[in-house]
Amino acid sequence: MIELFDVTKRFGDEIAVNDISLRVEKGELCALVGTSGCGKSTTLRMINRLIEHSEGEIHLDGQPVRTFNEQLLRRRIGYVIQSTGLFPHWTVARNIGLVPRLLKWPRTRIRERVAELMGLLGLPPAEFAAKYPHQLSGGQAQRVGVARALAADPEILLMDEPFGALDPITRESLQHELRDLQARLHKTIVFVTHDMDEALALADRLVVMHRGRIVQQGRPIELLREPVDNFVASLLGGVERGLKEAGLTRVSERMLPLGPRLLARERVAQTAPLRDALSMMLWHRVDRLTVVDDDDIPIGELSLRRLVGGRPE
Amino acid sequence: MPLLWLGLLLAATLGMEQLEGVLRLIEPDSREVIYRRDTFLALLVQHVMVVLVASLLAVAIGVGAAIAVTRPAGRDFRPLVGQLASIGQTFPPVAVLALAVPVLGFGTLPIIMALLLYGLLPIVRNTLAGIEGIDPAVHEAARGMGMTGVQVLRQVELPLAAPVILAGIRTSVTINIATAAIGATVGASNLGDPIISGIVNGNTAYVVQGAVLIGLLAISVDSLFERFMPRLAPR
Repeated sequence: MIELFDVTKRFGDEIAVNDISLRVEKGELCALVGTSGCGKSTTLRMINRLIEHSEGEIHLDGQPVRTFNEQLLRRRIGYVIQSTGLFPHWTVARNIGLVPRLLKWPRTRIRERVAELMGLLGLPPAEFAAKYPHQLSGGQAQRVGVARALAADPEILLMDEPFGALDPITRESLQHELRDLQARLHKTIVFVTHDMDEALALADRLVVMHRGRIVQQGRPIELLREPVDNFVASLLGGVERGLKEAGLTRVSERMLPLGPRLLARERVAQTAPLRDALSMMLWHRVDRLTVVDDDDIPIGELSLRRLVGGRPE
Repeated sequence: MPLLWLGLLLAATLGMEQLEGVLRLIEPDSREVIYRRDTFLALLVQHVMVVLVASLLAVAIGVGAAIAVTRPAGRDFRPLVGQLASIGQTFPPVAVLALAVPVLGFGTLPIIMALLLYGLLPIVRNTLAGIEGIDPAVHEAARGMGMTGVQVLRQVELPLAAPVILAGIRTSVTINIATAAIGATVGASNLGDPIISGIVNGNTAYVVQGAVLIGLLAISVDSLFERFMPRLAPR
């Protein structure tokens, strides 16, 4: 659990972070979003003390971070940055084993742990262990970055725009993997991004920052439906908010049981977001879809009217 | 390649007598065409020693200073050290000799002093460039992972900067091999002796002997660096 109490950071006369309070529960993924220079990265870096806060207190599991030894604190917190920061003169395996080595784990345990993590992140050790960072693609390098952060099994993970430099396809697949990983590992994650779709897709809780302050926080759907002001509304997508919300709602929530009518030709999975269903309707120029389960068996139907939340005909 | 040059150097040092006929062509009127006040081997050893001592000191001071001013605590001195090193290089070694002799006396010490000052700049400059040229993200990650300052320096900064630092040392040493010759003017006996003596006595053959040996020494050392220097790490 991470708690910030009235934290302020000044650089000279400039106030980068202004009196923010925040609580990230254990196992929660909290996304900090906002425009560049809003203080989200500074907030993140104050948690592992790469930047020291000027006022207020930051607690990890109830203990002020200032009471920890700086290095020992950071070894307990995974850290992933956009440009990976892999050591160019070390192999992938050595890069991943960095923190366990700093913690003086026995050599065999480090080797096992590195192999385990490489498997977890889809980097077969036989192929990748001996490679150097410059031999990796952007997506592979970032996987190594995530593996390195997870190496010593920290409870907390800080991620500073980890997928920001990747192409959209790689980014999306890494977001998927992160979600799967998180479902298994239940880390406490603070995630900084300016990509709103990424934040909406990953976050349990969204924290919107503007000019060093937190302007709103809550579940993504709450922020979408009830933004406190125009800034939050426009940050969350302006007129596209409808689509973003549709991206967070599953087809199964709006479908109706199969009726007496003939099955519509186009099919959509019940687990797909409404946004996909809408897109299919637009694409195929139809106003009705058949909803199928995981085995492609029809279980219901979705009309355009239902999709937009209207009453059934 | 280094073996070839070293072989040539050794052959020229020990076998200068054999070249008497050729050298006679340069200086047909002189009584003596081979420099004999000291053996060339002794001069060579002296020369190498002077350069070695001066370079080791320059490396220790130069790399040490550059590391110190790239630490958070020493950052304020960064401009000062850069300027001092530049001044060291713009100050002519001859002037350093002239100023050092009254203090340190004649002989080897003033020339070591002059070479040390003169050789500092390339080392300081390259060490700074090597350390400051490291991707800031690597530095950020190293600290973020919980490495201590010493660990960052030894495991990350120095290995990554090593090729650039060594290139600076190579430049410094090569320049100093040539510059050391002027030490002969203040009584340090080295390969500069035949050159100075040749100039004073109007004997070009002496000058050629000293110059050839210094040249061969410089090339040999340079090719040794070339051979054993680590390649620039991929970034």
